[in-house]
Amino acid sequence: MDHTLKAVDDDLGALTHDVAALGDLAVAQLRASVDVLVRYDLPAAEKVVRADNAVDIQDAEIERKAVRFIALRQPMADDLRRPIAAMKIAMQLERSGDLAKNIAKRVPRLDAAPSEGHSALIAELGRMAAERLAAVVNAYREDDAQAAYTVWLKDTEIDERHEGVVREIVAGMAAQADTVGDSIHLLFIAKNLERIGDHATNIAELVHYQITGQDLADRPKL
Amino acid sequence: MNVQVEMPQETAVLELPPEIVKLQIKDLNFFYGQKQSLFDVSVSFAANAVTALIGPSGCGKSTLLRTLNRIYNLYPGQRATGQVLLDGEDMLGPRVNVAALRARIGMVFQKPTPFPMSIFDNVAYGVRLYEKLGKADLANRVEDSLRRAALWDEVKDKLKESGLSLSGGQQQRLCVARGIAVKPEVLLLDEPASALDPISTARLEETISELKRDYTIVIVTHNMGQAARLSDHTGFMYLGKLVEFGETEQLFTNPVTTRARDYITGRFG
Repeated sequence: MDHTLKAVDDDLGALTHDVAALGDLAVAQLRASVDVLVRYDLPAAEKVVRADNAVDIQDAEIERKAVRFIALRQPMADDLRRPIAAMKIAMQLERSGDLAKNIAKRVPRLDAAPSEGHSALIAELGRMAAERLAAVVNAYREDDAQAAYTVWLKDTEIDERHEGVVREIVAGMAAQADTVGDSIHLLFIAKNLERIGDHATNIAELVHYQITGQDLADRPKL
Repeated sequence: MNVQVEMPQETAVLELPPEIVKLQIKDLNFFYGQKQSLFDVSVSFAANAVTALIGPSGCGKSTLLRTLNRIYNLYPGQRATGQVLLDGEDMLGPRVNVAALRARIGMVFQKPTPFPMSIFDNVAYGVRLYEKLGKADLANRVEDSLRRAALWDEVKDKLKESGLSLSGGQQQRLCVARGIAVKPEVLLLDEPASALDPISTARLEETISELKRDYTIVIVTHNMGQAARLSDHTGFMYLGKLVEFGETEQLFTNPVTTRARDYITGRFG
């Protein structure tokens, strides 16, 4: 970045590093939450819930650093967009972490391990959400507006898959009345995964904004 | 579709709609003897707005300002080619009455330059040169000018004291009062706050914001926060050329030229 005042580069580098690390953590939490559900591993689910605390702490730390950077360095142009985007991206990641925590919280409330069919549905949706989130975190880390744009363009894939999963779970509910309680939990879990996909879309917009100064929301989806 | 990230533009100068233009500069070149220090500058300044000129030392921003009211005429060997149109009339032409021009385009310099006379006379001096006002009218003009320069309350009980007895910030506002007392149309400010403390700076900035309702203001500043706070349009100059000119918000949030971006973010040199 080569600022005359080296400390500006150091600050921005540290901020980017922290946000990317928070992104990795959120992706790991998401993968773990789906994994403990599919394996119906109650002790591991509890660990995932507890680990969310680290996400919250890192989000608060990023906000503190961004505010400090703005106050002390008085940045302009792309230097100003970076701390703003860092705070907003961290918030989206923190919410994604919350959703992953909520998935893990539901595991012990299930009456039984999810069926093979249900597990496969949720695992597939979880994989899509995690790949999306990981891709956009990577776009952020690499300062790659094109990659962020690609993630943004594909935001309907997970929505469509989510609708399919809902249809299949609801169809199963009609057939097996005794598992309705668990099926409702699974519907919420599917919804949480779809929401994480939305957060990835929001992050893609923020990464694009940070790099180009342009709002992706103004662009038509092809 | 590809994302546009590159900043390919070498220069980007926003053209203002003619109906808001007060001062229009066309193909301006300036020479200190053999040395050329402005190159084909073409830009317009809007009426009732503040235009800031920024850029590294020696970029030509003060030279551009000095051209607008022909202060350079006071020095032998300095000359300008091109046009400076004030309401469409060329100010660089040979028949222009330079003294009258300077009454229309006032200037405040980097260092406060109060005359060694009373506060009242500092403000009244220019008025007496250009107009024949009665005692009461002159006193009203002085009071009005000092009020507009946000200095009245601090000096109203000591108008007979020397202008030199004031603090630096007060002296600078006295110079602003002197500048506006002759009712200019354009006010040029060359680094007016560079020697002032933050409170005096804030007062001067507030004064400038108030003055733009009646005047066209062009300010040269090294303080980018000041340019961002005060101005409606900003021009970035480098090596005697106008590199980027546009809405201040645009220039400070998303400049389109690499040079302007590098300068305002401190990536310069």
